Amino acid sequence: MSVASLARDAHGEVDQLYIETRELRLQGFLLFLVSDCVLFSSFIFAYLYLRNSGQGWPPPGIQRLDVAFAAWNSVVLFGSGATMHYALENFKHGKFMRYIWFLLATIVLGAGFLGGQVYEYNHLIFGEHVTWWGSGIFGASFFTLTGMHGLHVFLGVCYLTVLVLQSAAGVYTRGKFFGITAGTLYWHFVDVIWVVLFSIFYLL
Amino acid sequence: MAVAAVHAGGIADHIHPEPQGFVRRYVFSLDHKIIGIQYIITAFVFLMLSGLLAEVIRTQLLNPNGGFVASDTYNEVYSVHGSAMVWLVIIPMLTGGFGNLVFPVQIGARDVAFPWLNMLSFWIFPVSGLMLFSSFLMGAPTAGWMEYPPVSLQGAAGTSMWCAAIFLVGVSSTMTGINFVVTILKMRAPGMTFTRMPLFVWGQFATAPLLMIATTALAAALAALFIERQFGVPFYDPTKGGSPVMWQHMFWFYSHPAVYIMILPAFGIISEVLPTFSRKPIFGYKLIAFSSMAIALAGFMVWAHHMFTSGLAPFLQLPFMIITFVIGVPTGIKIFSWVATLWGGKIHFSTAMLFAIGFVGLFTIGGITGIFLAAVPFDLHVHGTYFIVGHIHYVLVGGSLMAIFAGMYYWFPKMSGRLLNETLGKIHFWLFFIGFNGTFIPMHWLGMLGMPREVATYDPQFAFWNRFETVASYLMTISILIFFVNALWSIRNGKRSGPNPWGARTLEWQIPSPPHYYNFKHIPTVYGLPYDFSQPLPYKGLDEELTDSPPPVAAGAH
Amino acid sequence: MNAAIVERLGAVIAGIVVAVVAFYALYKDWNASGTENQVFKLMLFLLGIGAILALLAGLNVIGFSPAKGA
Repeated sequence: MSVASLARDAHGEVDQLYIETRELRLQGFLLFLVSDCVLFSSFIFAYLYLRNSGQGWPPPGIQRLDVAFAAWNSVVLFGSGATMHYALENFKHGKFMRYIWFLLATIVLGAGFLGGQVYEYNHLIFGEHVTWWGSGIFGASFFTLTGMHGLHVFLGVCYLTVLVLQSAAGVYTRGKFFGITAGTLYWHFVDVIWVVLFSIFYLL
Repeated sequence: MAVAAVHAGGIADHIHPEPQGFVRRYVFSLDHKIIGIQYIITAFVFLMLSGLLAEVIRTQLLNPNGGFVASDTYNEVYSVHGSAMVWLVIIPMLTGGFGNLVFPVQIGARDVAFPWLNMLSFWIFPVSGLMLFSSFLMGAPTAGWMEYPPVSLQGAAGTSMWCAAIFLVGVSSTMTGINFVVTILKMRAPGMTFTRMPLFVWGQFATAPLLMIATTALAAALAALFIERQFGVPFYDPTKGGSPVMWQHMFWFYSHPAVYIMILPAFGIISEVLPTFSRKPIFGYKLIAFSSMAIALAGFMVWAHHMFTSGLAPFLQLPFMIITFVIGVPTGIKIFSWVATLWGGKIHFSTAMLFAIGFVGLFTIGGITGIFLAAVPFDLHVHGTYFIVGHIHYVLVGGSLMAIFAGMYYWFPKMSGRLLNETLGKIHFWLFFIGFNGTFIPMHWLGMLGMPREVATYDPQFAFWNRFETVASYLMTISILIFFVNALWSIRNGKRSGPNPWGARTLEWQIPSPPHYYNFKHIPTVYGLPYDFSQPLPYKGLDEELTDSPPPVAAGAH
Repeated sequence: MNAAIVERLGAVIAGIVVAVVAFYALYKDWNASGTENQVFKLMLFLLGIGAILALLAGLNVIGFSPAKGA
């Protein structure tokens, strides 16, 4: 099923301008995700470098992170990736109400993940006084990376909310819905980054 | 590589209405040509400011005990000088400036892929420049343009401002990189395969991924430095478990590709100017094109050659040394190709050509000293000395800046419809050439004799050559002022150029000077390389471009 | 300790569900064409891997827990 055949202009003819512009936007957005990847990779490099800088890990006085809650929170986020996938699928097949429900589910799960992160931070900072942002290289790497990721999730949730409102207002049609595709790409990206962060902070 | 045919009604056919009003046309313009000019003018303003800082440096170094400015002020001056030249002059001029100005027309497009993003990229640039220079008001950075911790951790507030300013201009760079990659991949005219693109476009195509990827790595390093300084989050402070060497890794992982960002577009300019004024096809088109891509890729693998004295594990020095030597090969291939282009040509020594030929010679010198520096034993001896300062200025001033001037004399008539004055141009060139070499050649032996860089005072044995350098630098400055006078005068009073004063063959010379905002009435079809001077032009569909006929789509319709 | 068991149980069950859904979606869309669909396929795969990692962490096969140690 090709986007091309469905994008029609005001005269009902194939909207060539839209098709070409959409292709540009898609490539541009993917390149943006690549550069965002480089941003995370740089901080991940910093974390791995500091971790291997010979002082032993975890640093003295810091406990290793307990994976139980993080595993649950991770699955919440991964679940939101699945719901987002089905949101887009349903939109493409014209099932508008299902699309909206899946989109709302994604937002709820995403916000749930953020809530979980707040809980985890709370536990780390105020619980057993494990660490905070400035207290050492562990806190520096952990809170900076997960904080950056959380910021990305937050912006994603905001964008998805905008999508709901726009969709309700009828902005997107079966031929022209790049905003939804971009949102899905971004949301999957945020998910995949979390797979890496979860692995390097909780599993390594 | 197959190129999609143009479908009717697509981007190629879509001419938007002409922007109305001064603000829409010249201030918040979406037109890549206006944005390019904005970048160039702004970059020249920062060139003047940063050049002034350079003259403060040279004046201070007239005397071994200095005395012109306080030592701390001197540290601020060279730190901002280096930062401004790299991030506010050379990179924006070559990518945002000449990139925007020229390559979209050369590929037969009406604009870049994301014009609004382009405009945003530009406007971030002067704001970030103001931020950088405002750091003087709050204690400018003092640890050089490289701002190594732990010294940069202890700097005054201006160091944090430096972080923010460079981060911001980096965002602008990254967006430009994305814009250019998509434009070149998707918006070439029908028939323009990759191997029919002008070499200036290849230069931009090699640079754009570096802008996108490398700059983001710098953003991370800067962000970490900023939050460490402002919020005490330890990344680099060794007393808290951080690592100063890690800063060097992160900084140079960007800054080495950055030097390729600063030279690859320049290579592209030279590759356009030389064949035009030799009336000969460029020698080794594919060699030059593919070696640019090779340099861009390999540029990511050599960053630690800036760190040979940092305590880097010795087993790492060897591979970085070898790959650095290897990068000299594609560069050398280009130099040979350019010389072969000149060989047997009918040379017209216009000012643009003088700067281009000068580039070939001076960049070769800079490249050779770079090969010296690649050798670890030699680098261990001269790291942190004036040898390095000599090397970097040969490649960045004898290289990039000369290419910028070549590009100015070459494309000024296309953008303004008037030629720059050739007599003043030749005075500019010769004064600059003599002044430049006088300033920077002695630095090589001063460095080998042991004069350290970034110092406000020095051992009296170096006094004579420092004075020599300072006098020569004043000649350079005067020559650049002559250029500005020439430019300002010629905009109004220069000889009218017509569409193609140089008889060049790339697409931008087949449309009026200055071009219409929509570039082409009809997007042409391309049949071959532009450089074959013995053949007719390899384009079809350009017949109406130089006539007075209106564009095919009425201004208000869509 | 109780909270940890609930969290782990949730991670295991939901991990299985998400992994199955992700790989099933990948299987169904295997022949889709177009740039964005290729990216989606890659991301679904990585998502599935992530769910499996979380599942294994929930089962204490990988990762650290104060009671057992990894």
